Amino acid sequence: MTGVEIILAAAFAGALLTWFIGRTSSTAGSAFAVAVLLALTALVALLHGRVYETVFYRGFLGLPMSLRTDSLSWFFAMATTVLAALSGIFSLSYMKDRKNTGFFNTMLLLVNAAMLGVVFSGDLLSFFIFWEIMSWSTFLLISFNRGQGVNAGLKYIVMSLVGSMAMLVGIGWLLGAFGTLNIARLSELIPSASGGHQLVLLLLFGIAFGIKNAVMPLHTWLPDAYTEAPSPFTAVLSGMLTRMGIFGFLLILYVMAGAARVLHSPGSTVPTYNVVLAWLGAVTIVVPTFIAMLQNDAKRLLAWHGIGQGGYMILGMAFGTGMGLAGGIFHTLNHAIYIVLLFMSVGAVQHRTGGVRDLNSLGGLARKMPVAFIGALMGISGLIGVPLTNGFVSKWMIYRTLILGGAPFLAFAALIGSWGTILSVYKFLHNVFLGQLPSKYENVRSSPVSMKIPILVLSFAILLFGILPGLPLKVIDGIVVSFGLPSLDVSLWGIASEAGTLNTVNLFAALAVGVLVVLAFVRILGRSERVGQDSNYSAGCGVPRDRYNYTARYYDPLFRMISPYLKDFFSTLYDGLARGIGSLCEAVRMIYTGYVSSYVMYILLFISAMIFIHLTWNPW
Amino acid sequence: MTKMIWYVLSPLIALVVGILLMGLSRKLLARIHWRVGPPILQPVIDLIRFLSQKSASHGFLFDSGLILSLAGSLVLTLFLPLGQYTPMSGSGGLLVILYVMLLGPLGIAFSSGGAANPYASIGISRKLMLAMGYELPLLLIVLTVMTGYRTISIVEVVRIQQAQGWAIATFPLLLSALAYILILPAILGMRPFEVVGAAQEISSGPVVEFGGPHLALSTLQHALTTYIGLSLFVNLMLGGGSNPVFFLLKMLVVFVLCLCVHAVFPRFRVDQAIRYLWRWPALVAMAGLVLTVLMGG
Repeated sequence: MTGVEIILAAAFAGALLTWFIGRTSSTAGSAFAVAVLLALTALVALLHGRVYETVFYRGFLGLPMSLRTDSLSWFFAMATTVLAALSGIFSLSYMKDRKNTGFFNTMLLLVNAAMLGVVFSGDLLSFFIFWEIMSWSTFLLISFNRGQGVNAGLKYIVMSLVGSMAMLVGIGWLLGAFGTLNIARLSELIPSASGGHQLVLLLLFGIAFGIKNAVMPLHTWLPDAYTEAPSPFTAVLSGMLTRMGIFGFLLILYVMAGAARVLHSPGSTVPTYNVVLAWLGAVTIVVPTFIAMLQNDAKRLLAWHGIGQGGYMILGMAFGTGMGLAGGIFHTLNHAIYIVLLFMSVGAVQHRTGGVRDLNSLGGLARKMPVAFIGALMGISGLIGVPLTNGFVSKWMIYRTLILGGAPFLAFAALIGSWGTILSVYKFLHNVFLGQLPSKYENVRSSPVSMKIPILVLSFAILLFGILPGLPLKVIDGIVVSFGLPSLDVSLWGIASEAGTLNTVNLFAALAVGVLVVLAFVRILGRSERVGQDSNYSAGCGVPRDRYNYTARYYDPLFRMISPYLKDFFSTLYDGLARGIGSLCEAVRMIYTGYVSSYVMYILLFISAMIFIHLTWNPW
Repeated sequence: MTKMIWYVLSPLIALVVGILLMGLSRKLLARIHWRVGPPILQPVIDLIRFLSQKSASHGFLFDSGLILSLAGSLVLTLFLPLGQYTPMSGSGGLLVILYVMLLGPLGIAFSSGGAANPYASIGISRKLMLAMGYELPLLLIVLTVMTGYRTISIVEVVRIQQAQGWAIATFPLLLSALAYILILPAILGMRPFEVVGAAQEISSGPVVEFGGPHLALSTLQHALTTYIGLSLFVNLMLGGGSNPVFFLLKMLVVFVLCLCVHAVFPRFRVDQAIRYLWRWPALVAMAGLVLTVLMGG
């Protein structure tokens, strides 16, 4: 057995074992789950730099099923396992004392195993099988909390199935046309297919991956799913699982269709497809970001950002230059880091406040839960792309590509999306952690250690990748090169190029010196005294504590202006469609009354109609 | 060696100019209102007094947000060409400038979030909404400039303008310049867009909890914000300056023009401000970008 096979075998066996161990003791099951996830991380890390393919099963319709690994697979596998391991650690205390912890752990491992299967698949058949395991285990986890969760899960699985069916048609077509499903073989064959064939193929796979990555207008499953899933799983779902769509796009566009080769060759439809995809990405950035601003549920607000940030990845990836592609892939990683962190912070708050995530009723928790606050602060900084956080670097790369590539309108969409992000995430931070502490949360305790560890690790990662972006960018550069695009001039602290360089270490040094200078100035000249938060704002008068907190309807004037324009049109459309199909099926069901006499009547009517037709026109 | 000196000189000049402009604004405003007004050095006197006092601090976040804000603004001055001097020219260009500009307001926002005062929260929410209002046209303008000159480096933008004429005097960019003039008071926080401070309404908003040294820091930050807003306009639209003196003179002219508007206009409500900013300036800026793309292609 080779490395990849061992990893997948361990991942699935681990999921199974967790189930049995979890049945005897849920604590032991959780501990075992974390151990499996950490072991998987180590195994995947060992795979670094290796490129090979191995056939593991030949039985299915005579098609060889294979696994492969290269820089792209390794990158996604690494991100997946690390984030899953951190989410596993986080869930130790989050899921403690809840029902069905064993089931949760098993499913978490199964989802993780399926994601690894997806990224390591060497042929589209295994890809499809792992993709489906991933979809239904995700469905079970989204519905884990029952109640609203079941509806959210159903929405997810229905849309996911639509995507899978589209993909299945595409796979069937590929098999019919080329007689193989091996990805490496197909990448040699597809570029020679006609433009129309390529387009149909890209569209079919585009639907599947577009639904998974929640590209507008295929995004409607996501807000409900992120909101209703248990927070540790929301972290996994938002971090890497949704981004399997990006992996799929990279696979179909760059590995199989070979966008790098065909992008500028005449007769190819890939460029047109890419332009449309880029514009969808732009719409996906702008609209959800503004919808996020109007949300009052912490998780739902972040969920809309999950959609919006997906737009940046699509935009960078679809634009098709080396820097844009690298930016898109890097943004996938960066987004995973900060969104997981943010959902963990929300999860920690939920854990300590008894499940509250309403932005209008929280506040002032920074003092009570400092680590969760640090996590949220770093997370939103990354999400905005404040300089010296990881999000800044990838966004900079995408903006630069778009501006110098002559697409200022796409760049405008990307930039305005970032500015909209500031508004909504500051509202998130302020309404949960800043301002006044409502008196009912006076006794909230700090987050448990198993939550603090992943939060601090991820916060550190945001700064590390923001100040030394070269660490991940070297790997990403390898991916870009493997697609046949020229290498970027990546150094440890940024990107050098003729038309604009980025140097994060300079920036870091300047800011550090700036802070030190101001600090020295304050230390020498300033004197201050620590006083309580509410000691002086009422000028000494007694104020009822909860009354004057400004959190509800934080951006009211703006809210009133833009909310009429920000209806989720597609969600309404799909709901209407679902209802329409429901009533149509209901009408069809009326025929099947369940009474034998009715059926006898149908038969008699049918026969008499036949006789009537025969006697009148005598067609037979 | 001379280059190293400007790492220190740029922020210092920015601070001094910013503070003097504050003093000038009070004096000029008073003269327009037929008052005598305080001496031009009044802000300096105020700063000395603030620093000699003791202030109330609400803890780590309250202090560090303010420090971050001021440090961010100081660093930003290193990215903006002052005449022919730009200490940090090769570290990311205009895109970095746009983002480092965030540190100022964000730092203040974190700091006042560390206090419990609802006025501060209202002020911040207004600040962010107003920023959303003017950023929309501003981003269009900056994109037009970057597309028109095919560069993301502000130093390049200034260099090309010095060779080919100011952006405000070339055709499609003229529209951007016009839009920029319309939004400049909002960027500088002057009337008719003085919704953030709004002394009579929300007790100066974000700075309501600051006293003593804290107020001194926030005053310095405000001075820098004024400098940065003007400097960006002069660099992008008025061709920067061939030396620092010309550059500062241009800034002074623009500032005095803004002051005249400030002196005679009442103030918008925040929703009126956004409505205005998203209508005419945004339309004109969009027209500028469309024309630039069409003519460039």
